[in-house]
Amino acid sequence: MTDTPPKVQIESTRKSWLGGASFIWIIPLLALVVAVGVAWQAYSARGPLIVVSFLDGSGVAAGETKLKYRDIEVGEVEKVSFGDGLEAVEVHIRLDKEIAPYVDSSSVFWIVEPEVTAQGITGLSTVLSGVYIEGSWDGDIDEPASTFRGRDLVPLIKPGEDGLQIAFRTTSNSALTDNAPIMFRGIQVGQVGRAQIARSGAFAITEGLIYEEHRHLISSSTRFWDTSGFTVSIGATGAEIDFSSIATLIGGGITFDTFVSGGAPVSDGEVFEVFEEKEIARNSLFTTSAVDPLQISVIFDENISGLTVGAPVELNGFRIGAVDSLSGIVDFNQFGDSRVRLNVILSIQPARLGLPGDVSAAAALALLQDRVANGLRARLASASLLSGGLKVELIEVEDAPPARLTQEGLDIPIMPTTKGETSDVAATVEGVFTRINNLPIEELLDSAINVMNSAEMLMSNGDLQKVPGDVSTLLSDLSDIVTSEDVKNIPVALNATLTRVEGLIAELEKQRIAEVLGTTLTAASEAADAVTSSVSGVPELVEDIQTVASKAATLEFDVLIKELTALTSSAEALVSSPETAQLPVALSGALEQLNATLKELREGGAVQNVNQTLVSARNAADSIAVSARDLPQVIERLNGLFAQAGRTIDGFDQGEELSRSAQSALRDIQQAAKALEKLARTIERNPNSLLLGR
Amino acid sequence: MELVGTSQKTVTAREAGLVSCTRCTRAWPIETEICGRCGAKLVSRDQTSLQRVWALWLVGIMCYVPSNIYPMLRTEQLFSVSESTIVGGAVELAQYGSYGVAGIILFASVAIPLGKFWAIAFLAVSVKQKGGFASQHRLLMYEVVEYIGRWSMIDIFVVAILSALVQLQGLASITPGPAAFFFALSVIFTMLSAQAFDPRMIWDVQADDDGAVVND
Repeated sequence: MTDTPPKVQIESTRKSWLGGASFIWIIPLLALVVAVGVAWQAYSARGPLIVVSFLDGSGVAAGETKLKYRDIEVGEVEKVSFGDGLEAVEVHIRLDKEIAPYVDSSSVFWIVEPEVTAQGITGLSTVLSGVYIEGSWDGDIDEPASTFRGRDLVPLIKPGEDGLQIAFRTTSNSALTDNAPIMFRGIQVGQVGRAQIARSGAFAITEGLIYEEHRHLISSSTRFWDTSGFTVSIGATGAEIDFSSIATLIGGGITFDTFVSGGAPVSDGEVFEVFEEKEIARNSLFTTSAVDPLQISVIFDENISGLTVGAPVELNGFRIGAVDSLSGIVDFNQFGDSRVRLNVILSIQPARLGLPGDVSAAAALALLQDRVANGLRARLASASLLSGGLKVELIEVEDAPPARLTQEGLDIPIMPTTKGETSDVAATVEGVFTRINNLPIEELLDSAINVMNSAEMLMSNGDLQKVPGDVSTLLSDLSDIVTSEDVKNIPVALNATLTRVEGLIAELEKQRIAEVLGTTLTAASEAADAVTSSVSGVPELVEDIQTVASKAATLEFDVLIKELTALTSSAEALVSSPETAQLPVALSGALEQLNATLKELREGGAVQNVNQTLVSARNAADSIAVSARDLPQVIERLNGLFAQAGRTIDGFDQGEELSRSAQSALRDIQQAAKALEKLARTIERNPNSLLLGR
Repeated sequence: MELVGTSQKTVTAREAGLVSCTRCTRAWPIETEICGRCGAKLVSRDQTSLQRVWALWLVGIMCYVPSNIYPMLRTEQLFSVSESTIVGGAVELAQYGSYGVAGIILFASVAIPLGKFWAIAFLAVSVKQKGGFASQHRLLMYEVVEYIGRWSMIDIFVVAILSALVQLQGLASITPGPAAFFFALSVIFTMLSAQAFDPRMIWDVQADDDGAVVND
């Protein structure tokens, strides 16, 4: 230990506290700053915590389940716990900071799970990703809240969503199904929420939502009815199954229509009735279901089998209500015996009576009391001949025994009755059937069958069937004739003939035939007169024809047809006979002969003869004229002769006989002239006679 | 273990007027400032050692907290994502019956880091206070801490290997969580803290003790 080195003086290096601090302290300080900064940022970015209580947790897990708003994640479940008394599951949700102010007291939350309904599958995405909590709130910042009660179901009307929010109520069964669609013309325009029984138990009520774009379809006169299920109808057209869609078949649905125009716009909260079917809905439009019906009791002595609850009550044929209930009644005090009578309670809708002013049951009762005093009575009547159902009719009976619509205390007023008309109707129907039964239907049918048979026989008659063929043949034959060369030649021949005739006439004219034209015309006029007189017989002829026609009309048809057929066939035979076929030839031949005749006539025959005749006639006339010209001379001579004669007569006094002879001579001459004139006239009148020799 | 029970007075280099080179271990007179053999700066006692130890220790602790709060592993399976912290994962494993693996994880990721923190803190405190812990034991503790420090990264290795292996797109994938980062930082700062400790100070305390005893 002697080798121990000398003690070294150790200087104290103590410095100030800060000076002794190493720079290494910067690192923890930096880490601290970073940590604090990060922590502060995380804290400041953190949104508030809300607590939503659900009846069950159904898949909600802390740290995993998200809160979504419009399908966008806006928060996360931080903790799931139980509420006081294990009544509810409290889900603590950390909201995103920016969305937090909007989550106010009106927000709703529900758990979205996969769900398969008749309307389809919803929440399918949650099968894989797990459930999530959907929240809904509007865009306004209202009173803040941090605890909420979650919904069991998807709320029909979500905050901040547009749409007409209405309520439905119904007293019928099965009309309201949860979440049923509201269809209109096959398109879903809204949805029904969850149906609930109203507090009074009298009807079911549910909220409904009409989507905003279909809001205008609803007015105060809109009526809704149930389309769920299906209807089976068996009628004349066969069996029919009617349902609107598979979805409504399974899940139910309601639809609506606005039967009349002029409804007022509907605001949120309006309550609509859902009717069982369309007809009831339509009918309801004309009633005011808001007015309580008037109940009236009617006690019938008769057999009321066929009268059912719901049977119509009609006033003058107009339905004003329905049978409410049927029951027996025994009241010795009232009726004087112990028989069981049938008490029918009628439910009369005051609105149907068309009451002026206040429409109420009391007003309706007053009206009915007044009418009953005037003879209004209830009676049973057949509602349907087929079903045998009965209805209650209110009719005014003349000379009815006085009665009153009595109301004692709070009892239902009792309406007097009159004898029903059910039996009458039955008798009438029976009579109608009897008369129908007595109709000679068999005979009628036999006659009809006979007529049909005859017609068929006639139609199937071979001759009749031939007729069109015969007519056709006839026509074709005629066509043949018309188109035959001979016929075509006719105009040519005629033309030639006419040319010749013209020439002849010109010649005749040349030969001053025109001179006698006047007389000819006169004769023609006479001939026309004669024709006129002949024509005056025409009406008679027409009558004759008519009688003939009527006789023809009375002829048996088939005979006529047969005759017609025969006629046609003979016509056909005639037409098709060689003679007929030769007819044009013959005609042509005749014309040719005529032509030849004319030629002959011209060439040296008749015309020259005529000419000669005329010439000779002229000569004769000339001679006559000469004679006539000579007459003065003759006369002079005669005069001379007369003078001589006179002188002779004077001498002999026998001149009278001479003049008488002269007179007869003159008369002969005159007759000759007349004959000549007659001849000329004849020729004038009928030149053909010259040609034809007649 | 022959150290146990040794009460022999150890003479430090400082007391002998020498200074040793921490790099090449050659002893020089105490006035020497530069090691003549390897050129390292010679300091008989590093005056800032404790400050650095405490600073880095603090950062290590700060990083260790989030590494246990945040998830270490993020496992994405087909339809589910699960995140597990170190302790949570170990507990989960233990629930499935893998007590051995759970024990290893707990030992490597919780016990050892915590032990290191405690050991470093204890050493740092003990150089200032007179305590009844043998200097030889403290030296052993220091050497163990130094030696074990590099193995603390085994968690990070596991996470890195799993993340690299399990990357089946869509079906399953494992990604390191934020805790891995903090855990790595924690390990690094702990190691730095341990290295910053100047073990020669252990003997100064003993010397003071002895001196006090002598003075008494």
